[in-house]
Amino acid sequence: MIPFLALFRKEMFSLFVSPFVYGLLAVWFLLNGLFFSFILGFPAVQNDLNLFPQYLFGSGLLVWLLLPSFPPLLTLRLFAEEHRLGTLEPLLSAPITDLAVVLAKYFASCLFFLVFWLGVLGLFLLLTLHGAELDWSRVGGGFMGAVLVSFLFLSAGLWASSWSGNFILAAGGGAAINFLLLFLPVLFENAPGNLGQISRQMNIPNMLDRGFAMGLFDSYALAYFPLLTLLFLWLTWVRLVSRRWVP
Amino acid sequence: MIRASKLSKKYGAIDALIEVSFEVQAGEILGFLGPNGAGKSTTLKILSGYLPPSSGNASIAGFDLLQDSLAARRCLGYLPEAFQAPPELRVGEYLRFRARLKGVAAKKVVKQVQDCQKLLGLESKGRQIISTLSKGFQQRLGLADALLADPPSLLLDEPFSGLDPLQRQELKNLLLELAHKRNKAILFSSHVLPEVESVADRVHILHQGRTQVDGNIKTLSRQARDYSAVFLGLSYGAEELRNGLLSAKGPGGIQSVEVQGNNLLIQLCPDGSIPDLWKWLATESKQVQRFEILQPSLEELFLKFTAKKEETR
Repeated sequence: MIPFLALFRKEMFSLFVSPFVYGLLAVWFLLNGLFFSFILGFPAVQNDLNLFPQYLFGSGLLVWLLLPSFPPLLTLRLFAEEHRLGTLEPLLSAPITDLAVVLAKYFASCLFFLVFWLGVLGLFLLLTLHGAELDWSRVGGGFMGAVLVSFLFLSAGLWASSWSGNFILAAGGGAAINFLLLFLPVLFENAPGNLGQISRQMNIPNMLDRGFAMGLFDSYALAYFPLLTLLFLWLTWVRLVSRRWVP
Repeated sequence: MIRASKLSKKYGAIDALIEVSFEVQAGEILGFLGPNGAGKSTTLKILSGYLPPSSGNASIAGFDLLQDSLAARRCLGYLPEAFQAPPELRVGEYLRFRARLKGVAAKKVVKQVQDCQKLLGLESKGRQIISTLSKGFQQRLGLADALLADPPSLLLDEPFSGLDPLQRQELKNLLLELAHKRNKAILFSSHVLPEVESVADRVHILHQGRTQVDGNIKTLSRQARDYSAVFLGLSYGAEELRNGLLSAKGPGGIQSVEVQGNNLLIQLCPDGSIPDLWKWLATESKQVQRFEILQPSLEELFLKFTAKKEETR
């Protein structure tokens, strides 16, 4: 446990002192502020403020553009940079398990990504301060769904980061996986037979739009995101231990 | 103790290491030598637990690296070739992180880090950001890292690399102290042969993934008999003795005799015998004041054992 906590703390520290990460935060806050004010201007939202979480978390650009793109930019440094700098060898020859390495890096990135969401939460609080009456079960549900999706995308980004020391491959690969997870089910949801059935079950925007952002907590969705996250963490672990496999 | 038994490593179709075996006992320093691509770093990566061998096994302090890798790694300090540390951290932060990573108890972290910093002359660098350290200090940081948690075995890949002559001397003294006073088993690779010669108790020469020779330098010199040379200090008659040595009545087995003023430098053939030469001189010559067997330098041995392999290919 001590080595895990040591690595977790070091990863958190490295994220907090990285100028690149602050740049990411700035762009994230700026774009979210723009989307936020843009959606507030929708006539439907002005008529019924309860629709706001659905527009923001369910069908807006936040989900379609920012959520798949930003997590891999945060995770790209976790393994790819260690590969590139040559610091992975001292880390993996220390007395720490490969699983602890994967989990420490993953949890550090998850905790740090909450800072991204805190900024968005601040926008809702600002709205409340200006007298808006929000349905906090919908807002909370929207946040919960968005956080679960971002944790899933962080795990995919972590896996891509473990492939090599190439930053473009790490960030591009992670984003590509995330966009496929978002778009493929939407593209095939009307396909006949099992393909359509499976696609509808994997439709992430639907789970956000018609579930979390409406304050509805579907046990299927609650299980879907963590299970998929575990799959990517397992793949990352496999990538890491594969160096120990005897050829 | 560090033990490697018939270690082999394949990278695809390439044999990087072929059945390499050796042991390093507690209190012993083994110098690991070989030309580039000989398999030195691969061996150290395997022994550090970073890479698995394709076959064979290895253990650190009695713990098998494959069966009980964590326990083995707890007994090991490892300095990789071209050591790098996270550039954004400060020296003290990095060492505290590494100490915790190696399982040092929270109460002992600060003391251990301070001790290692003192040992490696890094006391004044604790607050310095790693990316601003010179190469020499980065290397010292890597050594400090390897010494954290006081492991009984040390693997050092090119530890003299990047150090100035003064730092090399300090490192030599440190290695000797760690092995002979603190009873650590040390395996280090190096291209700096004079350093190896002055520090290592034994050398292990690798070439093209195979062990060429393993032993202490004196033993290796005996194995390299065709390299044996004798220096004779004479009071007079160097030319006369030279002629006698090379004549039919001479001891035989002499390749060449070089006159150096009143002295002779005798190079023996592979079948030449130093005892035979000694006997002949004792009976035939009265003018010998000094008889010195010249040992080949480690550099000569290294070239001999690696060149022999090239010839047999």
